[in-house]
Amino acid sequence: MSAVPENLRYTKEHEWVEELAPNKFRVGITDYAQSALGDIVYIQLPKLSSQVLANSVCGEVESTKSVSEIYAPITGKVVSVNSSLESNPEIINTDPYGKGWIVEIEISQATLSESLLSAADYQNLTA
Amino acid sequence: MKNSPIVGKHQGLSAKMADFGGWLMPIEYPKTGAIEEYNSVRNSVGIFDVSHLGKVSVIGQGATNFLNEQFTNDLSKIIDSQAQYTLMCNSKGGVIDDLIAYRNLDSDYFLIPNAANTASVFEVLKANAPAGISVENLHEQFAVFALQGPKSIELLNSLGVDCSLDYMAFSKSKFDGTDAILCRTGYTGELGFEIIPTWQDAGKVWDLLFNSVVSLGGAVCGLGARDLLRTEMGYPLHGHELTLDISPIQASASWAVDLNKSNFTGKQILLDQKQNGTSHKLKAILATDRAIPRKDMQVKDQSGNLIGQVTSGTFSPSLKKGIGLALISSEISKGDKVIVDVRGRDSVFEVVALPFVPSRVR
Repeated sequence: MSAVPENLRYTKEHEWVEELAPNKFRVGITDYAQSALGDIVYIQLPKLSSQVLANSVCGEVESTKSVSEIYAPITGKVVSVNSSLESNPEIINTDPYGKGWIVEIEISQATLSESLLSAADYQNLTA
Repeated sequence: MKNSPIVGKHQGLSAKMADFGGWLMPIEYPKTGAIEEYNSVRNSVGIFDVSHLGKVSVIGQGATNFLNEQFTNDLSKIIDSQAQYTLMCNSKGGVIDDLIAYRNLDSDYFLIPNAANTASVFEVLKANAPAGISVENLHEQFAVFALQGPKSIELLNSLGVDCSLDYMAFSKSKFDGTDAILCRTGYTGELGFEIIPTWQDAGKVWDLLFNSVVSLGGAVCGLGARDLLRTEMGYPLHGHELTLDISPIQASASWAVDLNKSNFTGKQILLDQKQNGTSHKLKAILATDRAIPRKDMQVKDQSGNLIGQVTSGTFSPSLKKGIGLALISSEISKGDKVIVDVRGRDSVFEVVALPFVPSRVR
């Protein structure tokens, strides 16, 4: 059974979103996603200061057996990337919601306009 | 989908399962994962269930001569209780399958083809067998377990199993009173054995091996780890490096083709390829950056001309780099740089010698 923390929101593409401030969000891939991928050996992070579009590809993670695209859950500007993943991408496997975070995105408006899934909704999706 | 006789053991360990040639087999186990399983084989010991592999018997007077006309390698080079890697080609030199032939006697062979090709191998042999030679498909009468890694000998000794066998030799053996064939063979590049119990005895022998592997600090391994291990050795996989369209001469498997034999299916075209060369050859490629090559990616020369395709690719846990096998223009040689189109990004790879990691099978 995969972990789905209550305090996060989710996408159908298996990203999680944590609100750090009303206009700043941290993003990673879910426990379910890392488990399905297997041992992660490579990550292509989004570019710092680039603009990302909700539901568009902003990076990729690759395991020993397959590659998977990372979709930006929200539209905004990349203000931070977890560059420690470049040399140790396996952190995503061991701590997907903590040290395995991937990117932080800042939005220009006051609050988030995208609709994201609740923990309960995501749990149902992956059940 | 077919199941291994010990599918319940894998399910009990919550293995991730997938289709391999029509068989539902374990890819990896959640407690370990492909890389930890790989590490167990390189550094200690691992046990794989590879019961999806085919089993075919060929019995009758003249079996050696008959099989020598069907396969590319020369079976007269081995004696009783020895095994040989060989290929079955069609008349166009394409590879129907690569397999291991185990010689019990001049008149008695046991073959282990690939799961997906067993029916084809069986059909060809059955159709070509002369009177007096019987060919039987025993796919679901035997299991196959691969015990691989430097601690394999220690493990077998602890079970009281005599494993003093040369590489590619085999013998009848007993595991706590249960009969099984013990073979000094494998697909990992490490010292190891393959163990062939009957389908009925598979669970008993597996439990014995599994418990010993665990107590020695090893791991139960899935086919994901097996693919990492074999790719590092450059071992071909049918459907990737060897196909009906790729000959053993192109795939650098000439060592398993004996063109001095009087005749065998595909000989004429393979002889021609050997003498005149082929436009493409299988080469090993090593990433110069963080890219990981994958099957069917396009390979270009430094001027951007298409020169071939990747046939297998993965991440090498030992080298911490992307590695691959690619069927590319014969003009490219070791030390040259080539470009692989990795999902739209050009990545530079160096053509290197195989294996990527030193073999320790002997």
